Amino acid sequence: MLTRRVSSVRRSASSPSQEPGAAGLDRRGFLQRSLVLGGLASLGELPLGTIREAKAGPPPSAGAPVEIRKNICTHCSVGCTVTAEVQNGVWIGQEPSWDSPINRGSHCAKGAAIREIVHSDRRLKYPMKLTGGEWRRISWEDAINEIGDKILSIRQQAGADAVYWLGSAKFTNEASYLLRKFAAFWGTNSVDHQARICHSTTVAGVANTWGYGAQTNSYNDIRNAKTMVFIGSNAAEAHPVAMQHLLASKEINRGNMIVMDPRFTRTAAHATDYVRFRAGTDIPLVWGLLWHVFQNGWEDKEFIRTRVYGMEEVRKEVDKWTPDEVERVTGVPPEQLKEVARKFATEKPATIIWCMGATQHTVGTANVRAFCIACLATGNVGKPGTGANIFRGHTNVQGATDLGLDITTLPLYYGLTEGAWKHWARVWDVSYESLRDRFDEVPAKAGRPARSRKENMETPGITSTRWFDAVIQPEQDVDQRSNLRAMIVMGHGGNTVTRMPEMLKGLEKLDLMVVMDPHPTTFAAIGNRKENTYLLPIATSLETDGSRTASNRSLQWGQQIVKPAFESKDDYEVMYLLAKKLGFADEMFKHIKVENNRPSPEDLLREINRGGWSTGYCGQSPERLQAHMRNQSKFDLVTLRAPKDAPEVGGDYYGLPWPCWGKPEIRHPGTAILYNTSLHVKDGGSTFRARFGTERNGQTLLAEDSFSLGSELTDGYPEVTMAVLKKLGWDRDLTADELAVIQRVGGDNVDTVSWATDLSGGIQRVCLDHGVMHYGNGKARAIAWNLPDPVPVHREPIYSPRPELVSKYPTRPDERQFRMVNAGFTVQKSAVDRGVAKDFPLILTSGRIVEYEGGGEETRSNPWLAELQQDMFVEINTRDAADRGVKDGQWVWVFGAENASKTRVKALVTDRVGRGVAWMPFHFSGWWEGEDLRSRYPSGTDPVVLGESVNTLTTYGFDPVTGMQETKVTLCQIRPA
Amino acid sequence: MRCVCRLLPALAVLAMLAVALVPAARAADPMTGANPTAQSVNERDLLNALGKLQGRITIPDGKAATLEQPQGREYRSFHERVLPWLAGIIILAVLAGLAAFYLIKGRIPAPPRDPGGRTVLRFSAVERLGHWLTATAFVVLAITGLNYFFGKRLLMPLIGADAFATWSHWAKYAHNFVAWAFMLGLLVMIVAWVRDNIPDRVDIAWLRAGGGFLDGSHPPAERFNAGQKLMFWGIVIFGLAISVSGVLMLFPFALLDINGMQFAQYVHATAAVLLIAVILGHIYIGTLGMEGAFQAMESGSVDLNWARTHHSVWAEKVLAEERAPRAGRPGTPAPAE
Amino acid sequence: MARMKFLCDADRCIECNACVTACKNEHEVPWGINRRRVVTINDGRPGERSISMACMHCTDAPCQAVCPVDCFYTTPDHVVLHSKDLCIGCGYCFYACPFGAPQYPRVGNFGSRGKMDKCTFCSGGPEPDGSEAEYVKYGANRLAEGKLPLCAEMCSTKSLLAGDGDIIAAIYKARVEKRGYGSGAWGWSTAYHETIEV
Repeated sequence: MLTRRVSSVRRSASSPSQEPGAAGLDRRGFLQRSLVLGGLASLGELPLGTIREAKAGPPPSAGAPVEIRKNICTHCSVGCTVTAEVQNGVWIGQEPSWDSPINRGSHCAKGAAIREIVHSDRRLKYPMKLTGGEWRRISWEDAINEIGDKILSIRQQAGADAVYWLGSAKFTNEASYLLRKFAAFWGTNSVDHQARICHSTTVAGVANTWGYGAQTNSYNDIRNAKTMVFIGSNAAEAHPVAMQHLLASKEINRGNMIVMDPRFTRTAAHATDYVRFRAGTDIPLVWGLLWHVFQNGWEDKEFIRTRVYGMEEVRKEVDKWTPDEVERVTGVPPEQLKEVARKFATEKPATIIWCMGATQHTVGTANVRAFCIACLATGNVGKPGTGANIFRGHTNVQGATDLGLDITTLPLYYGLTEGAWKHWARVWDVSYESLRDRFDEVPAKAGRPARSRKENMETPGITSTRWFDAVIQPEQDVDQRSNLRAMIVMGHGGNTVTRMPEMLKGLEKLDLMVVMDPHPTTFAAIGNRKENTYLLPIATSLETDGSRTASNRSLQWGQQIVKPAFESKDDYEVMYLLAKKLGFADEMFKHIKVENNRPSPEDLLREINRGGWSTGYCGQSPERLQAHMRNQSKFDLVTLRAPKDAPEVGGDYYGLPWPCWGKPEIRHPGTAILYNTSLHVKDGGSTFRARFGTERNGQTLLAEDSFSLGSELTDGYPEVTMAVLKKLGWDRDLTADELAVIQRVGGDNVDTVSWATDLSGGIQRVCLDHGVMHYGNGKARAIAWNLPDPVPVHREPIYSPRPELVSKYPTRPDERQFRMVNAGFTVQKSAVDRGVAKDFPLILTSGRIVEYEGGGEETRSNPWLAELQQDMFVEINTRDAADRGVKDGQWVWVFGAENASKTRVKALVTDRVGRGVAWMPFHFSGWWEGEDLRSRYPSGTDPVVLGESVNTLTTYGFDPVTGMQETKVTLCQIRPA
Repeated sequence: MRCVCRLLPALAVLAMLAVALVPAARAADPMTGANPTAQSVNERDLLNALGKLQGRITIPDGKAATLEQPQGREYRSFHERVLPWLAGIIILAVLAGLAAFYLIKGRIPAPPRDPGGRTVLRFSAVERLGHWLTATAFVVLAITGLNYFFGKRLLMPLIGADAFATWSHWAKYAHNFVAWAFMLGLLVMIVAWVRDNIPDRVDIAWLRAGGGFLDGSHPPAERFNAGQKLMFWGIVIFGLAISVSGVLMLFPFALLDINGMQFAQYVHATAAVLLIAVILGHIYIGTLGMEGAFQAMESGSVDLNWARTHHSVWAEKVLAEERAPRAGRPGTPAPAE
Repeated sequence: MARMKFLCDADRCIECNACVTACKNEHEVPWGINRRRVVTINDGRPGERSISMACMHCTDAPCQAVCPVDCFYTTPDHVVLHSKDLCIGCGYCFYACPFGAPQYPRVGNFGSRGKMDKCTFCSGGPEPDGSEAEYVKYGANRLAEGKLPLCAEMCSTKSLLAGDGDIIAAIYKARVEKRGYGSGAWGWSTAYHETIEV
């Protein structure tokens, strides 16, 4: 396809004798000299000489070498390699990354424009501080000193929990890990990042089903699927490069591409079946689908028998969802759902793909549980072309989640138990007690008992969706020593949480606000802060190195493309400087090389490897990952595996997708498809994790007659501890060194040392040698008894457009979760009682557009992208628009159901949304209820495009398991402006 | 903002097609149950049905919403085939006709001068200014205008591409700016002369007599004879057509879409060629063709006898007014002395 | 000699606009100039399709025909290029172009639009290949480096194909045969007076 241009270029057709360049310049020079027309000239915009401005990025100048550097695009989780041409430290060009098996040269609008994000002159250039309402430039040294002094004094007055650490899904794995470790040393569990508001419910729901909360297969593996079901995923706009794999499945396999979505998305336009259903009725939809599956005997009985626990309970719930009731609640006609059910259950392999359309609900965790159960019922998991293909949001949102930027766990899902803390204390080589003593003691408040430091250390923090509630609510309602007083925000937009009018109150009340970001973000422009607000310029992800975990769990090592622009520093350096200021740098960086205040990301990854046994982050050494980036072309497009004989990476799956067991030296290839029993565990095979015990109510929780290829144990088995190993007699296979480490870890209780706490990796190594999965061989759980709804049940949204259904399907009772009260039931009841749905008759739902990402400050500052989307808009159905006299392109007010909120946006009249539904993108900010806040940004840092934030309008509602906010179903009204 | 989309006939047609194709869904929403792939549009059918493809875009440039406009083909064939031939034939034919007339009939001689050397003011200073403004502008516009399609055929081979591009660049600016002078002059002339160019009975007789061109007679005429009136109205109509279409082209896409812009060019070029033909005749009569005519627009005054010969009715009227002067009537100049 | 063509497989185009920003990135194209754009037909309804469109480098190109200063030329690869030194910014090529490819820096008082700019199939202009002067006026010259246009190379779904006409036609044909549907090679009959029969 590539054709070399053979002939030399033709000269200007009719002046072959002239030297073209010179002729052009001369002629233009002549014309410019002749411009004596004066007035006329200005009238006609005569400047003839300018063809266009030559900006950065001319062809490479002669002499200096052009270096190729690879990093990973930050704009979604697909993990596209960005190939940069760098000359004299300047990023002069971007080339297709043909070698990457993930993107194969491709990008979307954002990836293809990513060079501008680094070059952008709208970036924050130096530290700034708000003094008397004015932005002032300060030095880094002063900034760190002032911020450090302030948080130390807050700590003294209000405790460690009064400071909130909000991290970023654009961090590298190493930076994510570092911030989690930082919070541990600071003494709080209130450390969170974007996963809270994108896939926290997925992680919780999926992990509670079969062990790990991540995409089971990969983008590439979907090429094997015969049937794809999208629920709440608009991959064409959110994960465009993934679409090349998805469309390949549709085309090559003549597969079914079924899109179930309230909105006729760009993805739906390419579907073979489009099912429009009412937003917020995912569970009735899936149960309705399973009703047909069970009714027709399409379920995979053998799979259920051998590998699933509790499907009977599900059947009882599913039986309630007769086709008529499903149609009443969701609006989907029975015959259509039956057809979808038939395809999903019988035209296999089939996969379910979901995103935030499913997760951002008060029933988010239950939604994803229902999807998993649908996969289990039809045997669509643990094989190529099947599975729960969960498309995540940022470059490294998977990695940041794994590495514990989360209020409920230490890195790699160890949780917050004493055992977890002790494990990490051993890895960090610090004493457990010294960590414990950094936590607050919580006094008894409002009838709640006091918490000791140890108890507080084991108590999850406040979710990032509620931080402002923890600032503004009365102190006795906040279940910690005192209210939140300071926010330290690293790489997180200010328009990403719902209920922004209330967020604003919290923002204004904070004692300290620190924004560390390449851009000022919404936080800098919104609200009425005058003092104690700092902006620190941070390098973009492309200006720092480290590993990133894509949605498919592959780790990719990104190189620093260019040095951080202006006065920016990268996350590592800033965290080190702060730790130094706060006095725990020496302890925290005990085994990590620090050069010029910058900790080495390689060393950080090695430390992760040393402690990352639970999730298989132990085998991906920096050397192995760097070798993968060098050898990208060796990996197969569909299986992602390199041939056994390939140098450096032979037999590996691309990016050593976690879990990659054991020490790097044993060269586990990573796990491309989770729970795939048709492979040997040393080839990436695995079983469902025996995470929930061995027996319940007299039924076994271990697999029956199912085991991974070549396993020496040919039935289910529990997770492996030293005790189990001894029982099997395999402890003899441990080396003396391994045994020594295990004894050191176990102390008096060596038998309790498990595959996840054994710092030697010996237990894992021995198990793999015996073809056994050390985490056990369990059944997946159709019933998750530890969740609020063990079997997912339908619950109407807090602001339901169908109040008559609320009494039958109410939300869960009010309850205290994550130190705050979740008063969803009260709010829902009040909304029904007040008849809110009458005044606000339209469902408001939100989503993504391809040109922008997240809060959008970065992408809206990029002129190449900003040109593609000029204004914040609301999609309104043609009939709803006609009813309201709204014309396409005109300004309208959208009114929200809480806080008398309103936004002024442009109307996009379209049938993309059904009648009674309005849709808005979530990337805009910089306007507030009709007011343009451009002047509030520090001069020169305002994004090109500003607009109203949809979260000005979004309302109350939190998932009980993770505190996920409800962004997908609320109510609104629209009127012409 | 996904850019404002005009309500397209395309959508209407397709919507009808789509609705017809979807099996009657019983749900309230006709979309649910659709197979978007099977209902995919096909370029050829769309083009056949609509002739032009438009859709939705998100960039600010509204023109970009037109995906395909095969009408560019007609524009090209007009611009490259019809126009050069039309212009060439008409201009050459007029020139040939005038040359033939000159050769056969020669110059129309001026009548003997008024013995008293009396003159009458035929055109006021404002009228002459208007005329010459228009005339000069017209010459510039005609030359620079013809350059748009004859230049590359006639001039470029002689002077080379670069010099021709430079010339054309300036010719374009000249065309765009001088256009305003032309329009101003045209306006002045219309205001000044429209009253005297309203056709009446005298014109019928004049026309019956063929203007006397063939037999050398001088049928009676008012200030402007029927031939001149025809010329006037020709200039007004063609001139206005050129002006309106020209202004629309100076502000491209301000009011018109792509097909409108093409149409504006058709009008502009056709009217311009016809006007050039008319003006060539006018120039001929005003200079070579008729003795004494040029003087009228040069000095403004004509010999009384010339006036009596060529514009007898007007001359008598002027003389009568001279005898009984009335308060200045606009449009009718006061006597010279 | 290759005959360079573009082909947008609308059944794969998802309007991700990568082609648009790749073009901006490669050539530093300023705001308001859209050498390539994506148009969505039948938006928001079943049957919706998006098509990425730029200069198609037509056979017997209409722009070339109507240009009053003959500033266009066709390379041996049949890429239609133009000289900005010769261009007078009259706008005729835009009226003639079936695809709306020509772009002008200004809407312009009195039609002074500035020099026309359009897709070069990533192959620069009359100046020497890869020269600074060529870059400033026309952008990068990838063809001279043996590379194809970046828009197609970076296309997220491999919808946009660029290269030798016969080869991309064969790719498209194979695709349609494999998957069983195709909405046509958009613009081909207008640009090249041929279609791809499947």
